[in-house]
Amino acid sequence: MQPYYETEGMESVILSVLLLPLLSSVVTLLFLRKNGNVASLLSVATSGGILVFSLYIIFQTGDTVFAWEMTWLKLAGWELKFGFLIDGAARLLLFVVSFIGFLIHIFSLGYMHDDKAKPRYFGGLSIFMFSMLGITLADNLIMIFVFWELVGFSSYLLIAHYFSTDEAAQASKKAFIVNRVGDFGFLIGIVLTYWTFQTVNLQEIRNLVDFDPSLVTTTLCLALACGFIGKSAQFPLHVWLPDAMAGPTPVSALIHAATMVAAGIYLLFRIDFMFTVDALSLLATLGATMGLFAGFCALGQRDIKKILAYSTLSQLGYMSAAFGLGMPGIALFHLMTHAFFKALMFLGSGSVIHACHHEQDIFNYGGLRKKMPITALTFLTGVLAISGVNFLSGYFSKDAILLGAYNSNMIVFVLLYTGALLTSLYMFRLYFLTFEGDSRSKSAKDATESSVLMTGPLLVLAFLSVVGGYHTLFPDPIVGVLLDDISRVAAMPNHLWMVVLGTLAWIIGGGTSKLFYGRAFNGEPLEARFPTLYDLCKSKLFFDEIYGFYVSKIQDPFARFIEVMELLFISGLLVRGSAGVSALFALLAKACYAGKIHAYSFWFILGIISFVAYAIGFLGN
Amino acid sequence: MLSLDQFLLLGSIVVPAFVSLLLFAGFGNTDNFAKKLAYIGFGFPFLAGIVLFFRFDEGDNGYAFEFLCSRFGLQELGIHFHLGLNGVSSPLFAMAGIVGLAAGLAAINSGADRIRLYLALISLMQAGLMGVFASVDLFFYYLFHEFALIPTFIMIGLWGGRDRRSVALEITIYLTLGALLSLAGLVALNTFVDAESFDFPSLSKALADSNLFDSTKSKIFGFLLIGFGILVALFPFHTWAVRAYDAAPTSVSMLHAGVLKKFGLYGLIQVAAPLLPESAQSWSPLLLWLALGNVLFVGMVAIAQTNLKSMVGNGSVMHMGYCFLGIGVCSSLGASSAIMLMVAHGLSVSLMFLLAHYIQRRADTMEMSEMGGLAKQTPLLACFFVAASLATIGLPGFGNFWGEFGVFLSLGQQSSTQFFLYFAALGIIISAVFGLRAVARIFFGEPSEELESVLSKKKISDLSFSEIIPAGLILFSLLLIGLWPRTISPRIDVEIESRYGALDIKVAGSDLPPCCPAKEEKKTATSPLQLKD
Repeated sequence: MQPYYETEGMESVILSVLLLPLLSSVVTLLFLRKNGNVASLLSVATSGGILVFSLYIIFQTGDTVFAWEMTWLKLAGWELKFGFLIDGAARLLLFVVSFIGFLIHIFSLGYMHDDKAKPRYFGGLSIFMFSMLGITLADNLIMIFVFWELVGFSSYLLIAHYFSTDEAAQASKKAFIVNRVGDFGFLIGIVLTYWTFQTVNLQEIRNLVDFDPSLVTTTLCLALACGFIGKSAQFPLHVWLPDAMAGPTPVSALIHAATMVAAGIYLLFRIDFMFTVDALSLLATLGATMGLFAGFCALGQRDIKKILAYSTLSQLGYMSAAFGLGMPGIALFHLMTHAFFKALMFLGSGSVIHACHHEQDIFNYGGLRKKMPITALTFLTGVLAISGVNFLSGYFSKDAILLGAYNSNMIVFVLLYTGALLTSLYMFRLYFLTFEGDSRSKSAKDATESSVLMTGPLLVLAFLSVVGGYHTLFPDPIVGVLLDDISRVAAMPNHLWMVVLGTLAWIIGGGTSKLFYGRAFNGEPLEARFPTLYDLCKSKLFFDEIYGFYVSKIQDPFARFIEVMELLFISGLLVRGSAGVSALFALLAKACYAGKIHAYSFWFILGIISFVAYAIGFLGN
Repeated sequence: MLSLDQFLLLGSIVVPAFVSLLLFAGFGNTDNFAKKLAYIGFGFPFLAGIVLFFRFDEGDNGYAFEFLCSRFGLQELGIHFHLGLNGVSSPLFAMAGIVGLAAGLAAINSGADRIRLYLALISLMQAGLMGVFASVDLFFYYLFHEFALIPTFIMIGLWGGRDRRSVALEITIYLTLGALLSLAGLVALNTFVDAESFDFPSLSKALADSNLFDSTKSKIFGFLLIGFGILVALFPFHTWAVRAYDAAPTSVSMLHAGVLKKFGLYGLIQVAAPLLPESAQSWSPLLLWLALGNVLFVGMVAIAQTNLKSMVGNGSVMHMGYCFLGIGVCSSLGASSAIMLMVAHGLSVSLMFLLAHYIQRRADTMEMSEMGGLAKQTPLLACFFVAASLATIGLPGFGNFWGEFGVFLSLGQQSSTQFFLYFAALGIIISAVFGLRAVARIFFGEPSEELESVLSKKKISDLSFSEIIPAGLILFSLLLIGLWPRTISPRIDVEIESRYGALDIKVAGSDLPPCCPAKEEKKTATSPLQLKD
């Protein structure tokens, strides 16, 4: 157990780092709606402030644990706390979020400089920073859920940035609704957790589980893991992430690659003590399958951002597998290195897209290395890092996962290793098609290198993608949480074997890619050689079609059917029907008032007869 | 002599009533003067609501600012004009003031014809609404409800939209039936227990002393449940609501869906459930099933809507289901969450109706397929609409989240109600589907052909200052509760605990799943740090 951080006043620093971006977005919304330049500077300054405060928090708390809470809401015995828990994992994510967030804010200054809706964009980024920091700092599940929903909201807002395109309109809606499906399970999980433990505080639950491990059940932890599946876009809820690429590219880098989607892994890490063996092995298999499946999908894509999106899905699958194999620290390690190189590649793609006037088809690029040398070089660094080229950042974290799988679960290993082959294949495909060869369109011919606002962050991230794997280079407060699992993996057998296999993977993948795309070609070489395989990759196993079918052919007709039922039976039969029955009685009664003396005397006599009959007991017994 | 508090409490009813009287009497002969009067009529209850909200002592249960006028009423029957606020009614009273002001401002700027009569009726409605939540005496509680209800009928009949006559007739009959049933329940309660007066506290005291048969109590509760249920649009008695909101003028929809519909829930929480706990528990399964009908059935109907106002109406009925679920659980957590949700729901629904009205004013239609891309012309309106939609679908940061979450939490407590949790939580997906679809259809994408032709005829401008004020007022309140729920929660907590405490112990003792330590053990369970050593 780590010692507690005791010095007073830390909570106000943490509170200010949390509220700073909220304040910035409120000011933007209220006063800077017409003033894009001021709004963007305010937002960038805010993210700079967040970075400074975060570093202060990280180094002040050092290797201790800081916990603080206050009552947020109290209803009938249910007391919800608003609290912070700064431990190793929180420090790591805090560093990643604030550092990469800052770089992406700077990049956005360049990328969005001619956008008309800058205030909305930068205000949205600030709301995102607020919500993401909330998830990072939160000390209980309900508070995590609150900020969980809020990152979903800011993601919705930013995907819908180009709202007048149909694509963005649909994608933003889809992202939010699919996430809600995951949150449905997460919500139920939280409710069940509360009634099982009488608390949702992470530390208290941990202590209770230590005390009585039988409290956790597979159902419970899988319900909580639904949140992860939705937010980290894992099977079967992965469909929203590729569509989310409709948002501006820096947003894709920050939210849909480096931080928000990785929040799912962070959630798992924070509640890892609640997982049963069954649930873990399920997550490992799911993650490894996702790692492979998303790799195939990436191979069939032509849109530069969609390729990167599928690669994110695949890497998240690796993290999930690492978690499922009982190495949560390695999952976090990969989260960090992935954040560096994936943010790098997304920003690099942003630089390319910006230079090519929003052309996103990699078959319309080509030859960009000569026109955009910095972007090309940094992008290549990212490609090498994600492919696991020896001694770059991805090599350390990914090979640790592969090694762990090799030593414990062969099926998962095979899936992950094939995924690694695919990763280098599709990443080098992307690189060759974009940067090498001849320019294949006018916009690619006219491209020029982006401004220093954009290349600066690229260079910083490229540097980190190279060295990010040497965890000893980072100060202990940031990476301390990883050390346990890293030394465990270091002690595992079969190291050399894994180095050989890992090296082979990127050489084979990259070499195949060079063979296909590294020279002059017509059309898509892969399609020409293996049409069936390519079509299968392109189809993404028809998930979008299946869900589309569900929505348009099952859900909506069912809703209309229910509406008709309501109209027919409730409004019609019950309401109108009872009105009709009373009207019928009224009609009958009205018929008696015929206004003719014969009729009245008839009723009169009938009345007398029935009275007499009743009186003499004719009707009675 | 009246104290300031009592003066405000009384004034919140008398001032709008008086304004309405002046307007009926044709006082002042220009529309402008009528509008100025109306500002007073809506401004005073708003101020009173806010001031009394903050002057209320959160630590106490029972009534504050009590005002009793025994000469007014029927002493022989124990009916007195008795006003006061407690922890449950005070947030609702403030909410009525806020929504009332927003609806009033919308009415003043609505440009309806015969504006003086229109304002007179709305002020009368406002007086009734404030009275409902300020009444301690059950008779006046009921009477004020009718004060607010009758103008609704008239206004739908006079200023309504499509088939207003038949709608006005339908809701008059339907709601009068509901009101009659609940009145029967209340009268029966009063007659059987022989309370010394017809108000909440003495009734509960008398009931505790009386020894009614359980079957009698259960019948009385049934009357109250069905009667109030009709008034709150409990499934399957909900079909009047959507038709009525469709047809009603905006301010009326706002006041009715936002405030007046809380009357029945308020009655169930203040009177029925705490006074008749055993009967509440025996009726609870039925109530839960019906409330689930609200959430799922009406939710699906909302998905099928293409008309914005029908969608908002169905959505509001759907979310009332959550309040009913909270009441149906029969625990203090459920009831207090239901009240949190009632306050937030009142605000968010009235905001949705207001924004729907703004949209209609610009697009000349309520059909969502005839809009599209409006965010380009009206970014601020889009911003408000997105915020309001997300508030109704329970995004944290807006008030609705706390109530909904609390209801879910209360459903999870007992294994017998966990079934309802799984299905009710589906509502968070359903409402996201129709809420975000509306946003996308109205504001995102390309403008439809119909909107193009509207655009070629007139310039669509963003929200004006007079439109921002009422919408901003409501949105601000929603955000305040959302970010700082303790604005309203402590007083609800204290009051509900005092009423439902007895019920809770029953729950805790009877049917707990083995995994849940009972309440007494909670102290040790929440301090696990000590457990270890």
